[in-house]
Amino acid sequence: MKQAKQLAGIAFVSMLAWSGAAMAQGKSDVTIVLGEQTDLLEPCMATRSNIGRVILQNISETLTEIDVRNNSTLKPRLATSWEQVDPTTWRFHLRQNVTFSDGSTFDAEDVKHSIERSMSSKITCETSRYFGDTKITPSVVDDHTIDIKTDPAEPVLPLLMSLLTIVPSETPVEFTRNPIGTGPYKLAEWTPGQRIVLTQRDGYWGDKPAVAKATYVFRSDSAVRAAMVKTGEADIAPAISAEDATDKSIDFSYPNSETLYIRPDDSMPPLNDKRVRKALNMAIDRQSFIGSLLPEGTEIATTVVPSTTAGVPKDLKPFPYDPEGAKKLLAEAKADGVPVDTKLELVGRTNLFPNVTEVMEATLGMLKDAGFNVDLKMHEVAEFEGIYSKPFQKGRAPQLVAAQHDNARGDPVFSMFWKYASDGRQSTLSDPHVDDLIKQATAATGDKRNQLWSELFTYLHDDVVADVQLFHMVSFARISPKLDYKPSIALNGQLQLSEIKFK
Amino acid sequence: MLRFVRQRVTASLISLVGLIVLVFFLSRLTGDPTNLFLPIDASDQMREQFRQLHGLNDPLIVQFGRYVWDLLHLDFGESIRQARPAINVVLQAFVWTFQLAVITMVLVTLAAVVCGSLAAFNAGGLFDRFVSLLSLIGAAAPDFWVAIVAITLLAVKLSWLPTSGTGTLWHWIMPIGVLFIRPFGLILQVVRGSMLSTLGSAYVKTARAKGVRTKSIIFVHTLRNALLPVITVIGDQAASLLNGAVVVETIFGFPGVGKLMIDSILQRDFNVILAAIMVTALAIFVMNILIDLGYALLDPRIRY
Repeated sequence: MKQAKQLAGIAFVSMLAWSGAAMAQGKSDVTIVLGEQTDLLEPCMATRSNIGRVILQNISETLTEIDVRNNSTLKPRLATSWEQVDPTTWRFHLRQNVTFSDGSTFDAEDVKHSIERSMSSKITCETSRYFGDTKITPSVVDDHTIDIKTDPAEPVLPLLMSLLTIVPSETPVEFTRNPIGTGPYKLAEWTPGQRIVLTQRDGYWGDKPAVAKATYVFRSDSAVRAAMVKTGEADIAPAISAEDATDKSIDFSYPNSETLYIRPDDSMPPLNDKRVRKALNMAIDRQSFIGSLLPEGTEIATTVVPSTTAGVPKDLKPFPYDPEGAKKLLAEAKADGVPVDTKLELVGRTNLFPNVTEVMEATLGMLKDAGFNVDLKMHEVAEFEGIYSKPFQKGRAPQLVAAQHDNARGDPVFSMFWKYASDGRQSTLSDPHVDDLIKQATAATGDKRNQLWSELFTYLHDDVVADVQLFHMVSFARISPKLDYKPSIALNGQLQLSEIKFK
Repeated sequence: MLRFVRQRVTASLISLVGLIVLVFFLSRLTGDPTNLFLPIDASDQMREQFRQLHGLNDPLIVQFGRYVWDLLHLDFGESIRQARPAINVVLQAFVWTFQLAVITMVLVTLAAVVCGSLAAFNAGGLFDRFVSLLSLIGAAAPDFWVAIVAITLLAVKLSWLPTSGTGTLWHWIMPIGVLFIRPFGLILQVVRGSMLSTLGSAYVKTARAKGVRTKSIIFVHTLRNALLPVITVIGDQAASLLNGAVVVETIFGFPGVGKLMIDSILQRDFNVILAAIMVTALAIFVMNILIDLGYALLDPRIRY
């Protein structure tokens, strides 16, 4: 009997412990449940979404910032203003009275070190990829002014600076596990595989955010993430699958900046024939996917970047669904000796997005109905990358690669060279006019730049029919009713705690 | 006895070396982590730099030699994904898996042995039919389904338990419960079958004829003899739990070694794969030796 009482006592205390844990969260604390483990908290890797969602603009800040809620314009963050001194030099004026979470003062030396560290060959920072082969030389003018010289000229340098996080000049050139930044939060706890805790710090230069403490936990299963917000164990689940988004009052869809498209191998017969590529476009009933296999809110695409990106023409029309027309085009090509009966390979990637296999199978069915001789092959990520990127495999079948591309940066420069230039890593095109337009647009500024991009998009879609653009995809976030927060396109790569308010 | 242990340790070490060689070369056959770690539009220069930094450009045999040399100095290498020693990553996860496996197996063994013995004693009776049905359902139910249903029912609808994660005692109930079901059904059937055949043997009949009490016939005379095949099955089940319970770890967010291994394979984080395999293999070797010693303990006829 005594033992039974003891056991009951232990059970009761443990029960209190659980309800205690659930209640322990203070009024201004939030818990965020992410699907993918954060394995690094390195500021120069913050463009990677699982890292960016934790540290970008929370711990580590950038000189400039894309204002996604305001037409993707550029706004100041650690730089207060910037101007072009000469065609190859940009001058940034830095914010004063800013300190890092370790107490040191932010100045131009920190910016110089952050740039050099990101570009160093001693570590593989992801930020440096956005600069391509451009040579970047920072030079300090005074404590609060820095000149950045580029070779060749980089007209979108201020935009690129929205990707480069600033670390103190003492940060060693190796991956750090203790990120120090100028942001409103600092890293308080990191138990790998379990949780990361950020707490608000004193002395932040900007407005004091409403969230005092944020705990990040990781669950790979979407149903569990959704359940956690439902039960109050978590407050935000930035990505849940459409199947789990069953409660309209707490589930919100947002464009996730991913575009789904099919890249035909333009270098290989029969796909090197424009009529065959046009037939591919006309064979797919895009509208039928929306609201069935893909969630409502999914947008039909005509370009490989979201429609809010600079230079995307508003008047591009998606190809109509016309299987008969597709058959006619194929017959025409066949009459001209194009081997349209060649076996094509539709290549998909497993786990690319929810329902990817079903979407690929439906696409396969539509292509077959229009008369294509095509098979479907699904690959896991590593195999898929080997097919999608150069060097392409020798002796391959003519492939139709279904891929997703992410560009939330507001400018096509982050996409077009890779996807369409003759030397682009994922490009099967070899068109001098395309190469020329990309080169010109990359070097241009202002309206001229937008006009050149626009010309390129139209040329690719209407004249070359380079690929089969399908959808601008959406994701779902589940947000606790106690929060005043609406997800935006930025949520794919960052989650600024300062944007979260309490009701 | 000592000689036996020495022999088994030597044999295990040889297997371990074989395993390391096999996994080292096979994992590298699956491709290069460069393309997975770096973004898809990274330049050739970045890729080259990455390969250089991680020694991926050297001939495989040179990489292997370097790995073995480091290993002899107890250096298991760095995790490419996490930029920290691979062995730390693995041990941190293994502690969770080990706790989960030990607690589950202790509970399963106790429950299966007691229920199986009682069922065998009243073979064909109500209790026997009930537990047999239960164990068959348990063995047939897919664990991911049980896990999701348990979360929906116990956490979302009834709010009795937390959905997932770690922290309090309550967080352990659902993962252990889900892991419990399948080995319980299996071991229960083995206990029952083994008990039935032992209960039919001559010495049990003699004991009954002598008027020995039922309780002591079951738990003293029969069970000890019936346990030998049961221990083999328990060892087998425990080994699969030590390898990590991927489904349970994934759904309940338990940071164990099973999910770590799968993730590392997908990301081609070779050092973590190797360290994880070495740690789990070592644990399984130790467990197998203990099981062999357990045989001798239970059956005095077995001598090493």
